[in-house]
Amino acid sequence: MLTSPLFLEIVLFPGLLSIAIIGALLGWLERKVTARVQLRIGPLYASPAGGILQMFADLIKLSFKELFVPENSDAFFFIMAPTTGLVLGAALVGLIPFAPGLQIANIEVGLPAFLAIITLSPTLILLAGWSANSKFPFIGGLRALFQQTAYEIPLWLSALGVIMMAGTMNLGQIVNAQTSGWFILPQALGAFIFLVTSVAEMERLPFDLPEAESEIMMGWQAEYPGVLFLAAQGPGFVKLYAFSALFSVMFLGGFLGPSFLPPLFWMLLKTLLIIVLIMLLRSTFPRVRLDQLLRAGWTTLLTLAIINIGITYILVVGFPTL
Amino acid sequence: MTDLLFLAFAAVTVGAAILAIEARDLVYGAAALGIAFLGVAGLFFLLDAAYVGWFQIAVYIGAVVVLILFTVMLVGPKKGETPLGLKRVSLLAAMLMSLLLGMTGALANATAFPGPDSCGSGCDLSLFSTSLLKNYGVPLEFMSLVMAAAVIGALALSKTDRGQ
Repeated sequence: MLTSPLFLEIVLFPGLLSIAIIGALLGWLERKVTARVQLRIGPLYASPAGGILQMFADLIKLSFKELFVPENSDAFFFIMAPTTGLVLGAALVGLIPFAPGLQIANIEVGLPAFLAIITLSPTLILLAGWSANSKFPFIGGLRALFQQTAYEIPLWLSALGVIMMAGTMNLGQIVNAQTSGWFILPQALGAFIFLVTSVAEMERLPFDLPEAESEIMMGWQAEYPGVLFLAAQGPGFVKLYAFSALFSVMFLGGFLGPSFLPPLFWMLLKTLLIIVLIMLLRSTFPRVRLDQLLRAGWTTLLTLAIINIGITYILVVGFPTL
Repeated sequence: MTDLLFLAFAAVTVGAAILAIEARDLVYGAAALGIAFLGVAGLFFLLDAAYVGWFQIAVYIGAVVVLILFTVMLVGPKKGETPLGLKRVSLLAAMLMSLLLGMTGALANATAFPGPDSCGSGCDLSLFSTSLLKNYGVPLEFMSLVMAAAVIGALALSKTDRGQ
């Protein structure tokens, strides 16, 4: 049982151990990329190569800090919300096909399952913000919820275009449907909407309203100490990893690529490219206001998503050979 | 195994539903409602209806529970305070509820749902979509009524607080 492929997949790759290591490395990469954009050097000392172990050092530091639950806070939700967030983030990675056969949960409705799991995270953020019994966390939690109403519908509708093109909701079969051409070309509009709304879903700049450290001091995470802060920060990076992998599965042909290198390499390369793109967005754009985000979500993005479905309908019905 | 899982999901659903009504703190009540919906989603998975199960999670927990939590936190009673002023409406609510239950019961006879949805294993998406719209159109619309109920419920919660 300990050497069965599924067990190894769950524990090593693409499962828990690799998620933890990749999450930590993404933290380092983000600081390094942001630093390069701002003509700084970024993390430097914590390793032989460019401070690559910086996040592991931070991890050790945070785990030695005192773990306390603020007075008058709701201890149950305060601890439950970030830890459940971590579990949900890991569950997302389990749905991604990294190579033919290298997928923990190969289910028929993989794409809706991914989006359904991600829907739960604003609820957890709201509970976390409420449970801290403090102003800024609560404002952050409420912002997460407002934000969800803005991006959730365009996110699902943009995924619908890919489902229509592939004729299936199974993520592995969506990859195989792209052997004759990646969906990024016929689904360019859908890919754009998906990227924008998934950045909003991940609560990253320019849509990091629930955290907004310059306005509400990390928002819903403000009261979290030590290890719990780690647990509150972690899902962000795991979601970044999972969403970038999902984007490359849906629009960039996933593990497909020239056969002189293994499929896993192409999958990870595409994922890394998307991750760096999203990180560059962070250092390029200023934060939007909540009302701007809501207006954009309900007017521009929703309209574009519906137009995209129309285009996809014409493509699928009008040109079935494509 | 399936029987055990069914019992477990059913116990979670019923237990969480009782907790949702009886919880002294409305936030805990709403969270328990979310757990109850999760239990229902588990029952859908057992019935080999994974598609419906995932949408149960996305719509009912992702939207309905969040809506209720939102209202409770923004305008609901203070922490530890029991909600008031809902007694008069409760009779109406019970009548509407039994009406709805009767309707769904009438719809959910043996012929209405002949088997598992065609999206269990080996999914034919176009066949599945056609059956969803043609055979299950009316039950689907009834399910969407719950969304309306959630909006009205959230409005009612905010209204009762303002009256005092």
